[in-house]
Amino acid sequence: MTQEQGAAAKPPRPDLQAVLDARAATLDAARPEAVAKRRKTDRSTARENIAALLDTGSFLEYGQLARPARRDMTGAADGFVMGTGLVDGHRSAIAAYDYTVYAGTQSYINHAKTDRLLKIVRDLRLPFVLWAEGGGWRPHENNIALRDCEETFGLMAQLSGLVPTVGIVSGRCFAGNANMAGLCDTVIATRQAAMGVAGPALVEAGLGIKLTPEELGPPEVHERSGAIDVLVEDDREAVAMARRYLSYFRGPGAAGETPDVLALRDVIPENQRRAYDVRKVIDGIADVGSVLELRKGFAKAVVTALIKVGGRPVGVIGNQPMIRAGAMDTPACDKLSRFAQLCDAHDIPLLFLCDTPGLMVGPEAEETAMVRHSSRILTVLANATVPFMTVVLRKAYGLGYYMMGSLAMNPTLIVGWPTAEFGTMGTQGAVKLMRPAELDAAETDADRQAIEKRLSDEIRHRNSALEVAARFEWDDIIDPADTRSVVSRFLASLPPVAPRPGRKRVIDNW
Amino acid sequence: MARIPIKSEVTGKVWKIEAAVGSTLAADDTIMLIESMKMEIPVPAPANCRLVEILFQEDEPVKEGDVLAIVER
Repeated sequence: MTQEQGAAAKPPRPDLQAVLDARAATLDAARPEAVAKRRKTDRSTARENIAALLDTGSFLEYGQLARPARRDMTGAADGFVMGTGLVDGHRSAIAAYDYTVYAGTQSYINHAKTDRLLKIVRDLRLPFVLWAEGGGWRPHENNIALRDCEETFGLMAQLSGLVPTVGIVSGRCFAGNANMAGLCDTVIATRQAAMGVAGPALVEAGLGIKLTPEELGPPEVHERSGAIDVLVEDDREAVAMARRYLSYFRGPGAAGETPDVLALRDVIPENQRRAYDVRKVIDGIADVGSVLELRKGFAKAVVTALIKVGGRPVGVIGNQPMIRAGAMDTPACDKLSRFAQLCDAHDIPLLFLCDTPGLMVGPEAEETAMVRHSSRILTVLANATVPFMTVVLRKAYGLGYYMMGSLAMNPTLIVGWPTAEFGTMGTQGAVKLMRPAELDAAETDADRQAIEKRLSDEIRHRNSALEVAARFEWDDIIDPADTRSVVSRFLASLPPVAPRPGRKRVIDNW
Repeated sequence: MARIPIKSEVTGKVWKIEAAVGSTLAADDTIMLIESMKMEIPVPAPANCRLVEILFQEDEPVKEGDVLAIVER
């Protein structure tokens, strides 16, 4: 249409004008009180969040004109804004409960909207980002339908492993809304989040205690418990984090800046008893700025992070010697297992950084069903098909090592650092069990200690890096400064991911 | 000037205090070492700061979450 034609355009006909008005009425510009409410607590609106994530002009909205089922209720898009669009040029689906419409509650019509979008997500294989804030089912709509038939939660659960799903919890998110978040691969929460399976009313009814939503389920509780994966400050950071997270699920991308790789030679102290932060190892491998740690505040004995190496996404699992010397307790086993499932489902190669004295021992550990939780790692890894490689940084003892990508787990590549030390158990214990006769023959305590030391040293030497490599139990012992380069070459050896008609596997919610 | 509490990430025993109250620390400098599960766990300064208070003595047991020291920046 030329400018002259545009200038002379007739005003829309009444039927079109009615539609334009109806559409405009759902936008923030027509809802100043709703926007003002959000501003009072420094929040973005649902539409602002979506606009911030999606490429400009790419949003294809479904159900903008939907209304609440009850004739006496009004609410833009029935409190659920959804559709498809592009995130950094990549096809995606997004949806946001609108807290300014009946507290973001779930309703007859917006359940129908959700169900429709979830089927499109399933059929088009779209990564899905959901702002889950809201109060659960809208009580006003009890008994409104002849029968209760929303498939929403089942459909959401069926997306597991099929497409990457991200839940953003940036306000009060309870009941059904919370479960929608709980069904996502990864949950990003903000400092203003409050989340729980039931809100204050039901808690009071069930337990007789009165708590605000923020007392019931503040973000710090969920960070510690492992219920959420990433904690950020506010709506803006949540959008940035979601955008960043999705970039790890698209295969190879532009290479990032090389980190200081020489620094890796100094990360492991020469003093074997001195702990170090395994994050420093990860920093010396990953493209600068590409480390996205998940569940940082939970199960700290293991670090799980998405990184990029030369632009290629990798899932890192590293023992954290700073915590319990890197011994693997139940939460660490669960965190590791779930992260391995996430990467296996989405074809992100894994990188194990092993420095563990083994599984956590003792009666308190047994109270947590260690036998089952530790076995979970084996079940996940032995049955996973995503390629992985292992770097033995220091201690590689017992079943803990076995589970941290040992040769028996079939890594594509397993190498050690010069500080790598294999062991079936601690040398002191090993000596006592293996050579009791020789020890008992000692006449004095000093003699006994000298024999213990000699035997320990023999075991330690036999299990040292170069000896283990000589037995070809590991593929190589490398200069720590070469680690990033070795990872790159490992990645370069992998075949492309074949397209598949369905999911590879389900990802456990926990 | 903000006072930042340095919390222990581990349960164990204070083994060695490495920095003096009043000293200036660079990010990552070791404030003290905690012994836990036969390992020496360094407690690093979170940023360039001044060490203003140490709340534990050598050989004292510590629990995860205990405030070990206060720094100022």
